[in-house]
Amino acid sequence: MPLLDVRGLRVDSASRGLLQGVDLTVEPERRVGVLGASGSGKSLTVAAVLGLLPPALRATGSVRLAGAEVLGVPAARRPPGARPGVVRQDSAGALHPLLPVGRQLALPLGGSRAFARARVLETLESLGFRDPGRIAGALPSELSGGMRQRVCLALALMTPSSLLVADEPTTALDVVTQAGVVSLLRDRTGPGTGRALLFVTHDIAVVAALCDELVVLSDGRVVEHAPVEDVLASPGHERTRELITAARTVEAHLYATAEAP
Amino acid sequence: MTLLRCEGLSLRLLRDVDLAVSDGERLGVVGESGAGKTTLLRALLALEQPDAGTVTCRGRQVRPGSPRRLGWFRRLVQYVPQDPASTLDPRRSVRELVALPVQRLGTPDEGRRMRGLVDEALDAVDLPGSLRDARAPQLSGGQAQRVALARALVLRPALLLADEPVSGLDLPLRAQVLASLRAAFERQGTSLLLVSHDLAAVAALCHRTVVLADGRAVEDVPTRQLLRAPQHPSSRALVTAVPTLP
Amino acid sequence: MVRLLSRVLTVVAVVAVVGLLPWLSGRDPALTVLRGRSADQEATPEALAAVREQLGLADGPLALLGRWASDVLRGDFGTSWVSGAQVLPGALSALGVSVTLMAFSFVVVLAVAALLVAPSLLGVLRGSPRRTSGAVAAALTALPEFLLATALLVVVSVWLGLLPPYGWDGPSSAVLPALAMGLPAGGLVGRLIADAVATSGAETWVSTWTAAGAPRAALTRGLLLRAVPPVLPQIGLVAVGLVGGAVAVERVFAIPGLGRTTLGAAQTQDLPVLQAGMLLLIALGALLGVATDVTRRAVLGRAARAGGLVIPSSGHVVRRRDRLVPLTALLLLAVLVLGGLAGDPYAADRGRLAGPSGDLLLGADASGRDLLARLGQGAATTIATALAVCLAAYAVGLLAGLLPNATAGPVEVANAAPPVIAGLFVAAVVGPSSTGAAVAVLLVSWAPLASHTAALVAEAVAQPHVRVLPVLGVGRTRALLTHVLPMVAGPVLRNAFLRLPGVALALAGLGFLGLGPQPPTPDWGLVLAEGMPYVERAPWVVLAPALSLVALSVLAVSASALAPSVRRRPGRSARPATAQRAEPVG
Repeated sequence: MPLLDVRGLRVDSASRGLLQGVDLTVEPERRVGVLGASGSGKSLTVAAVLGLLPPALRATGSVRLAGAEVLGVPAARRPPGARPGVVRQDSAGALHPLLPVGRQLALPLGGSRAFARARVLETLESLGFRDPGRIAGALPSELSGGMRQRVCLALALMTPSSLLVADEPTTALDVVTQAGVVSLLRDRTGPGTGRALLFVTHDIAVVAALCDELVVLSDGRVVEHAPVEDVLASPGHERTRELITAARTVEAHLYATAEAP
Repeated sequence: MTLLRCEGLSLRLLRDVDLAVSDGERLGVVGESGAGKTTLLRALLALEQPDAGTVTCRGRQVRPGSPRRLGWFRRLVQYVPQDPASTLDPRRSVRELVALPVQRLGTPDEGRRMRGLVDEALDAVDLPGSLRDARAPQLSGGQAQRVALARALVLRPALLLADEPVSGLDLPLRAQVLASLRAAFERQGTSLLLVSHDLAAVAALCHRTVVLADGRAVEDVPTRQLLRAPQHPSSRALVTAVPTLP
Repeated sequence: MVRLLSRVLTVVAVVAVVGLLPWLSGRDPALTVLRGRSADQEATPEALAAVREQLGLADGPLALLGRWASDVLRGDFGTSWVSGAQVLPGALSALGVSVTLMAFSFVVVLAVAALLVAPSLLGVLRGSPRRTSGAVAAALTALPEFLLATALLVVVSVWLGLLPPYGWDGPSSAVLPALAMGLPAGGLVGRLIADAVATSGAETWVSTWTAAGAPRAALTRGLLLRAVPPVLPQIGLVAVGLVGGAVAVERVFAIPGLGRTTLGAAQTQDLPVLQAGMLLLIALGALLGVATDVTRRAVLGRAARAGGLVIPSSGHVVRRRDRLVPLTALLLLAVLVLGGLAGDPYAADRGRLAGPSGDLLLGADASGRDLLARLGQGAATTIATALAVCLAAYAVGLLAGLLPNATAGPVEVANAAPPVIAGLFVAAVVGPSSTGAAVAVLLVSWAPLASHTAALVAEAVAQPHVRVLPVLGVGRTRALLTHVLPMVAGPVLRNAFLRLPGVALALAGLGFLGLGPQPPTPDWGLVLAEGMPYVERAPWVVLAPALSLVALSVLAVSASALAPSVRRRPGRSARPATAQRAEPVG
């Protein structure tokens, strides 16, 4: 049984259809990349999965998460297993601005203060922070974008759900920091970790580096869903071909410059 | 001949940075966020007085000051900002936007042939005539990008400073903009100083690249040498981090 | 630095004006003193000169100010010109009464605010944050203290006979005044916090926390910590506003507090008492302002400097029925003006306290004048005055807002000063008159517009298309005048017009206290005050003006809900970290 099963998801605003029947499945411990330009419907699909669709929009179809139907159910009213962990583009907004990050990381932990603190420091250390004590005492605004994104990842990894949703988590980061976050995601999701990943982006190269499957959205529809290597070898849709060509053009400069005499 | 040079520049986290751009040269400055790229641009644009060191343009020292005192410098050195679309005043038409530097920085002679200059600049970036009386919100991302470029080029500056001009764009658009930038520079012989965290963009445009790490210029080599054999650890991290398709 | 200097200079200026009152006052203080000492003494030139000599008025303003300041610093506020008694002991005991009354009303404020915030909090905890309609809160906020006090007095004390109508003995006499002060303030505070909770409840971190399984108690604490500090400055203003409310409420319930004492002194020209009262009222207001600021810093700790503070932006959507309420109130007022313009507001040709009838729709007042005519005419003049005040406030506010650092001090003081305090000031200097009331309201009403302008200017200046201007050869002054001003002028003008009913209400409030137009002018506040003694015999003399004022209040509050939310202290609130994108220009 798939972990996430989206079937015939339609979202309409008062004047027009925004999603035209999206079908999307994520099997346990699989990493699925969702690719699309702005306006393709990827943000709405994510919002439906997370239970964050604006009330003004009308959604029909089905979103089943860990066996429970969750379409239109806000996260607060879902069973714990159906509240996916989230990492977003805006890492600053994803954390309470006025509380030290250590206190926020301790929220899902029961037990004594000392126990929670030990767990928090341990988690921070495992995510590559060299000085977890200092990080735990810092406010989100006192950290760099890359550090904040790793803190968000730590919080997302503490959720009981076995799905992690990453919504453009690297778009606001520079390439070096982006590579670090991608490699952390690769370590913490996928086979053997007990956690599946739904990774939303507009950058096909990042998907290629991270995901097993690729879903391409265009104009509110899924136009392609296949293993990543198959898509790269033989893209089935015009839109996918465009994305791949563009990525190759930019890369071509890199190789051409590097190999020039 | 050296067009723009900074020597021993220190400002906030920048420490003792030297760099120079000659006529016709295209220079890249790369570094992770927090390396000091933005501060460097502010100092080079004479928007902020460095704590130590000097900025000179064609041998003449540049200090922050009124538009009147710095007019000569602003005519020589123009700027393409990050996310150029947002730097277009939504209440003014494309022609008015491009004419603004001519009104404020141009000579009386240029003022007289303002319309011609504006149209030439918009021709150079291939902006269709039908859009020239439009306002910024009616333009697409790529068109707005071209208007900002035309505004920077209208007085035919010798050097353009560009700040991550493509990083906010979708991949297909990014390839397109890089190509048109390259064409514009080759046609007009304008020099470029491009600041970016993205080596792919720098590789597409720049002859030479300076790597900025923790406020210092740690490497200053031809771009192809940097891509082939990066020396400094920061340079190596930048080169290996560029995501590529298998 | 400029800001600090501006604040210090403003405080010094305010205190200096208080000290110079005897010199500024247009009428001859010697006459007042002479009358106060003995009613039958002949006001001969010799006697007057002797008194002037004694007061030291001949020495000029600076000497007067210096003497007053050094006396005050030694704790000597002089003797009352009317009673001849030492000023300070009386003022201090009055202050004690006022502070007790304010403490009672704080309890009311807390209770009302808690009731209004609870539904918002619950909505967020259930996963569906939504803005409450705010109808209850708006209804509470709608009634200014002087009107609510009058209504409570009439209904509870006079008709139901439940609580004492006058005086100050025992806790029972504090209930109604505390309600009159606490209900509107609590409504306002509750609405501010409930809105902020609903807005921050829609922020991303709430969903992050929910997904992580944060306990409800932790989420509640997190929400309050997020929502309250940004609105604390406004809550501080509400607290300072209570000082102004106290003046009106003490007057209605005849409570021997500082407000009533000061008001009395302003009317009898007893300047030493007035000076002491004003100084204490201002100090009380300043103390409350400082207290909220200290609270805010203590709550936020390091975060106040870290720039993690964003005032939750109000994603308020104006719905059609939001416009329905002000339109209805406007229509009622229009009917009143048109109906009243036909009659003669001064002719005392009706029966005294005649009841409403066919040709006397609202009845007659104690002098036998047509109430409808008086209210209609009063509305016309009040609205004309209010319009003039709004336009003047717009001009001053726009200019001041363009120089936010230099005007920081005056803006803060004027923002915090209730119109009543300004009214006392002006009445003390030039005597009560309708022009004086207009000036008093202008003195305080330009400040919100200046804050609004400053906030919009700060926003505009941060926009990339303005920040790029220096590189294009546009200097600072030119950028401000040709690029920023056109963006700002329109929204501020709209804000100024939406404040029109509020300004009219403030004018009526001054009239009610006797600080505005004098009898027989048909001013609404004055008509209400004149009717008060006859409320038991002829309720309509109070009901008609009170209901007109309620319509005006509803208009004021519902119109201000349509106004853009004004961010106070724009320089202090940082933008969200995502907006601080690295950008070299600016």
